[in-house]
Amino acid sequence: MNWNRRDFLKNTSAATLAAMAGSVPMSSFLSSCNGKSIHSTADTVILLWMAGGMAHTDTFDPKKFTPFTKGMQANSVLSTFKSVPTILDGIHFSEGLQSIGKVMDKGTLIRSYVAADMGSILHSRHQYHWHTCYKPPQSVMAPHIGSWIAKQLGPKNPVIPAFIDIGQRFNLGEGEELKAFHTAGFLGNEFGPFLVPDPTSGLESVRPPVGMSSSRFEKRNQLYNDLISQSPMGEFGSDYQKESLRRSMEQAYILLKSPEAKAFDLSLEPKESYDIYNTGKFGLGCLMARRLTEQGARFISVTTEYEPFKGWDTHDNGYTRLIDMKKQIDGPVAQLIKDLDKSGRLDRTLVILASEFSRDMMVEGRPDAKVPEQVDQPDVIQDIKNYGMHRHFTDGVSMLMFGGGIKKGSVYGKTADERPCKTIENPIVIDQVHQSIYHALGIAPDTNYLVEKRPFYTTPDGLGKPVMELFA
Amino acid sequence: MATEKVFWLWEFLGRLHPLAVHFPVSLLLLAAILELFTLKNRHSKLRPGINILILTGAASAVVAAFLGWLLYRHGDYSGNVLIIHQWFGFVTAGFGLVLLLLLYRRGGDSGNFLVYRTILFITAVTVSVAGHFGASLTHGDDYLSSTLPWDKDYVPASGSNFNLASLGADTAKLTKQQEIELNVEVRAILAHNCYKCHGAEKVKGGLRLDGKHLAFKGGENGPVIVPGNTTESELFRRISLPADDKDVMPSKGKRLADRDIAIVKFWISKGAPWPEDGSKASVYRVAKLEPRNPVLPAPTAGLSNPIDLWTNKYFKKNYSQWPAPVDDRLYLRRIYLDIVGLLPSPAELDKFEKDPRADKRALWVRQLLNQQDDYATHWLTFWNDALRNDYSGTGYITGGRFNITDWLYRSLKNNKPYNQFVKELLSPTDASKGFIAGIQWRGVVNSSQRTEMQAAQNVSQVFLGLNLKCASCHNSFISDWKLADAYAFANIFADTTLEINRCDKPTGKYVDPKMLWQQLGAINSKATAAVKQRQLAENLVKPEDGRLYRTLVNRIWAQMMGRGIVEPVDVMDNAPWDQDMLDWLAFNFSANGSDLKELIFQIATSKTYQLPSVGFKEVALINNPNYKFKGMLRRRMTAEQFTDAVSGLISPMFLSVDLKYDPFTAAAYKNTHTKPAIIRASLVANNSFLTALGRPNRETVATSRDSQANLLQALELTNGGRFNDMLKQGAQQWKAQYNDPDTLIKALYSKGLAREPTTKEFTLAKKALGKAPSVAAIQDLFWAVVLLPEFQIIY
Repeated sequence: MNWNRRDFLKNTSAATLAAMAGSVPMSSFLSSCNGKSIHSTADTVILLWMAGGMAHTDTFDPKKFTPFTKGMQANSVLSTFKSVPTILDGIHFSEGLQSIGKVMDKGTLIRSYVAADMGSILHSRHQYHWHTCYKPPQSVMAPHIGSWIAKQLGPKNPVIPAFIDIGQRFNLGEGEELKAFHTAGFLGNEFGPFLVPDPTSGLESVRPPVGMSSSRFEKRNQLYNDLISQSPMGEFGSDYQKESLRRSMEQAYILLKSPEAKAFDLSLEPKESYDIYNTGKFGLGCLMARRLTEQGARFISVTTEYEPFKGWDTHDNGYTRLIDMKKQIDGPVAQLIKDLDKSGRLDRTLVILASEFSRDMMVEGRPDAKVPEQVDQPDVIQDIKNYGMHRHFTDGVSMLMFGGGIKKGSVYGKTADERPCKTIENPIVIDQVHQSIYHALGIAPDTNYLVEKRPFYTTPDGLGKPVMELFA
Repeated sequence: MATEKVFWLWEFLGRLHPLAVHFPVSLLLLAAILELFTLKNRHSKLRPGINILILTGAASAVVAAFLGWLLYRHGDYSGNVLIIHQWFGFVTAGFGLVLLLLLYRRGGDSGNFLVYRTILFITAVTVSVAGHFGASLTHGDDYLSSTLPWDKDYVPASGSNFNLASLGADTAKLTKQQEIELNVEVRAILAHNCYKCHGAEKVKGGLRLDGKHLAFKGGENGPVIVPGNTTESELFRRISLPADDKDVMPSKGKRLADRDIAIVKFWISKGAPWPEDGSKASVYRVAKLEPRNPVLPAPTAGLSNPIDLWTNKYFKKNYSQWPAPVDDRLYLRRIYLDIVGLLPSPAELDKFEKDPRADKRALWVRQLLNQQDDYATHWLTFWNDALRNDYSGTGYITGGRFNITDWLYRSLKNNKPYNQFVKELLSPTDASKGFIAGIQWRGVVNSSQRTEMQAAQNVSQVFLGLNLKCASCHNSFISDWKLADAYAFANIFADTTLEINRCDKPTGKYVDPKMLWQQLGAINSKATAAVKQRQLAENLVKPEDGRLYRTLVNRIWAQMMGRGIVEPVDVMDNAPWDQDMLDWLAFNFSANGSDLKELIFQIATSKTYQLPSVGFKEVALINNPNYKFKGMLRRRMTAEQFTDAVSGLISPMFLSVDLKYDPFTAAAYKNTHTKPAIIRASLVANNSFLTALGRPNRETVATSRDSQANLLQALELTNGGRFNDMLKQGAQQWKAQYNDPDTLIKALYSKGLAREPTTKEFTLAKKALGKAPSVAAIQDLFWAVVLLPEFQIIY
C-alpha cells in the first residue's frame, strides 16, 4: 500500500462514478450538460438548525413587547422580549441575540420564509420538507439536501465525509420520522450523513475503536492487507464487489489515521475559544463545524436537536425557555461567523440558520386555515408558563444567511407588525431556499437523476428558482 | 496495484492490429479471386501480380497475427469468440507462410498447382473467418445478424418489428397497415426524444408533439411538419443538424440516431401519415401478459434440469461453453447462504464432502429447504424489503401503519403457495393488511400518496414489475399507463371513488375501479373495498396472468443469481436475456402449485446455478441491455447474512432482548422447532449497524439492495462499538476454548471461509497471534478475516 493518499482517493471517486447503474440512479439526460456551468460563490455549507420551531417575533423579527403581568390578554402579546438594536440601522433583534446582531453586517436577514401548508402543522413533516424539499410521504426515498450536495460535489477534501450531521440523536421521540429524511435516499448510502450525535464525543467516530492503541490499530490494518493479498479471492482479479469493499476499508483507515480527523477533537481547541463556544452541545457543534471547514468539509449540519417538547419546541414556558435557547446559540453562532470571517473562509462558506416554522401565541398554522390546535392557550394569562409563543405558525419565519456570496448587511422580506405577523413582502418558500443554496454552490437548478425511469429533481419538477436578490 | 505497467510500445503495436488486419484480408482474398481467373490458364498474365499479392498478403498476415497476439496480451479480450478468431488468425498466417514457401520452391509458375491452389483457397476462407470473428469481437457478435429481420433477436430501437426497407421505394404507396406501423415508429422516436420538452409536462416554444393535432398545429413559429416536404419541415431540419449546431434538436442529450432521422424523413416525405387507428398501438416495449409454455429442448448428455436445457440452448447460441461446476465446498456455502442465510459449519462441510451419494447436492438442498425456521427467517428479509414491513418506522407513531411479520413468517415457514400468499396480501385479514394499508402520515398528503394510491403503486410494482408511480400523478411518459388507469386501479382499494387529481389539482373527474388488464376480470364498481379487493385477488392470481408469475420467478432468480432474467426486476416490460427460460419457469411455477420452495429447489440444483460465479468491473454492466448470461454474478452478503455469519462464527451480535419478533415463543410454534443458536438479524429492529450495511429503512418498497461498499459502512466496521464489542467478546470465548494458536487459526478458517488456511496465511495469522494469543490479538485476527472480501462475497 504505497499509494499516495490523494491518488488513491481520486481513483476512488472515479470508481464511484462508474458504479452508477439502473437500480442506482442514472444521471438523466435532462440535466444540463451543455457545458454551461454556474459560477459558484461557495463550496462549503453550514446549516445551523433551530429544531422545533423558532418563533420569529421572539428572535430575529421582534414586534411590540408586552411584559408579563398576571391577568394579561394573550392576544395583546406579540413579543415577550425587548427589542435590541443590531449593527444594521433600524434593524432590531429580540433581546438575548445581541452577539448575532453585531455580525449582521456580514450576512442577510430573511424575514419572509413561508413554510408549506400540509394540513397539520407537524414538526417531523415540516422538517422532512425543509431538508428534502419534498413533502412526506414520497414514493421514492427523497435525499437530504446534504446528500444532494455530497452527490453533486463530492467531498471537498476526500478524507473528510462530504455530509456531516452534528447533534441529533435518533432514539428520542419521533426518531423514526427524523431518520426518514436523514438519508441519501435513492442516491445511495454512500452519500448519507456521517452522524455525530454528540459533539463532545465526536472524536470517537473517527479514531480507532475505544481502547485500541495506535500501534495495534496499525498492526491490525497491516494484517488485513496481508491476508487480502493472500486470499484465493485474489484469483478473480479485478472485481467490482471485491474492489469496492477493499476501497471503502482503505478510506476508513485513511480517515482514522488522518491529521484532518483532529478536527473532531475539540480538546485541541484553545481554551479561550472553546469557552466561547461551550454553551452546550449546540455551541460545541458550531465549534466542530468551524474546525471541519478548516479541514475541507462540504456540508455540515449542526442542530439544537429535535426532541418533542424540548429545545425550540416550546409548548409552554416559552418566555423562560427562550432565555436559555438564546444563550445556547447567540455566542457560538456569532463567534462562528467571526472566526470564518477572520480566516477568510466566510467568502466561500455559506452559513444558514433556519427552522421548520415559527410560533405564535394565538394562531395555529396559518391565519386563514383550520388545523387541529396543538396547545391550550388561555385567553387570559395568569401563569408565566402560558407566557410565550406556543402555537405553530407557518406564515412568517426568520432565517439568516452569511457568506458564500450572500449580500452583506442586508434584509430581505418583511412581516406585518400586527397579529398575525405574517409575511407581507417577498415571501420565500423552501424550493427557493434550496435553489439559492445550489446556486451558490454552482449546482444547476435542473439537476436530476432518473429513478425508475422518472426524473427526480433537486426541487420538485425542477421548478424552484434561486432568489437572486440574496446574492451580492 | 498489482497490475504491471505494460511497456507502451507493445500496447501501441497491439492497437495497430485492427488496422493491420485489413491488409491480409484484402490482399489474400484478392489473390484468391485473381487465382480463379487463372484456373483455365495457369500461365495467365495475372500470375506475377498474384505472386506479389500472396507475398504481401502472407507477410501482412504474419504481422497482423503478431500484433493481434500483443493486443490479446494487453487488452481486455477473452471468451470463445476470441479463441476462434485467434486460431483462425494463426492458421491464416501459417498458411500464408506455406504459400510463400510453395512459391519460392516453385520458382515461378511451374510446380504443384493443386496443392498451391487448395491452400490458397483455404487461406481465403480462414482469413474471412478470422476477419468475421474479429469484427464480432469489436462490434459484438450480433452486429450483423441483429439487423436481419429474420434473426430472433432482431429488435429495432423502439422494440417493434419495423423495417424501413420493407416499405419499399420512395414512390411506392403505403398500405394502411404500413402507414400505421410507420406512424407508430415515428411516435416512438418522438416519445423517447421529444415529449420531455414538447409534451404535456413542458411545452417549449409552444410546441407539443404528443398528439396528432398538436403535432401538426406546430409551435410559436408555425407548423413544424409539412407533409410531403422534408426541406420545409422545421422538425426534420432541426433533428438533422450536426450535433454541435446551436439549433439542433434535441437541444439536450444525444442527437437522434441516423436510423431514426431516416425514419422521420421517410415519414414526412410520405405525407406524414397519422392514421387514427394507429394511435392505439404502443410506442413502448410492452411485455406480453399471457403465460407461455415453450417446448423444452430435448435432454442432452448430462443435462436434465429444464433450466439447464434452456441454458444449454442459450450457450450454444452465444458460443458459450459449460465450465466445470463449482466444488462441494463452494456449493455448500452458496446454498446455505441462499436458502437459509447462514454459513455451513465445518462438520456439515466435512459430511457433505464425504457424502458418497451421487445426488447429494439435491438431497442437501432439500434438507435445507426443510429447515423451515431457518428458511423463513432468511427469506423474511427479502419479503420485508419488498412489502416494506418493519418493526419500526414512520407511521407507527400514530397507528398509521401495520406490521405483518407474524403472518409473513408463518406463510414462509409453511411454504404458502404464492397465489395464496398474494391473495392474502390483497384481500387481507388483520394479520396481513399492512401491505395494502400502506403508511399514513398525519396531515394532508399528496393525492398521489394517499394510501389507496400507495396500494395501487406497491401492488403493481411488487407483484407485476410495473411502475404506476408516474401515472398516479399524470399520464406517464415512460409507458402507456394513464392517470385514469392508476385511479381506476387505486379505486379498488377505496370504499368511495377517488376524485382524479392531476399533479395534485382536482379535475372533477372520476373513474370506475378496474384491473390494469381488464381481460383478467371485472371489478364491481358499487362494492365495498373489501369486496373489490377480493375480486382483485382472484383476478390477479389467475394462471392467465403470466406477468404475476414471471415477475415472481424473475425476483427469485435475481436473488439467487445476482441478476434477474429481466433487469431491473421492477421493470418487467424490459427484454429478458432469455424469453424461453423466463416463460417456461413462470408457466410451470404457476402450473405446479406456485411452490416457492420447489422453484428454489429447481434453481439451486441446476447446473446453471452451479456454474462458477462471474465478476464484473462496473455495476453499470449488470443493467446493460446487451448483458450475456455466463453464470451467477458475485454478490455481497446482505446486512443480515453478514451479521448472522459473524454472530454464528464469533459471538452473537444480538441478544434475546433485541428480538422484535420471536417465532419461538409464539404459542402456535411451541415444540415444533429447535431454538436457534443465534438471534437472527431479520428478527431485530433496524439499527445504525444494519443500516450502514444496507438494510433499507422500508419507507418505500425495496426489491434490491445497494451492493456498493462505502465509507460510512467501513467506518461502522472499523471502529463501530457494537461490532468491535462483539469481536472482543468472541475473542474472550475463543481464548478460553482454544489453548494453542494453531487450532484456533484452523478453526477460524474452516468455520469462516470453509477451507484450510494456506501456508502463507497460516504464517501471517500465527505471527499476529504470537505464542500465547492475547484477547486483543485474537480480536484483531477475527476482524481481519471477517472483513476479507472472500468472507463477505457470495461467489
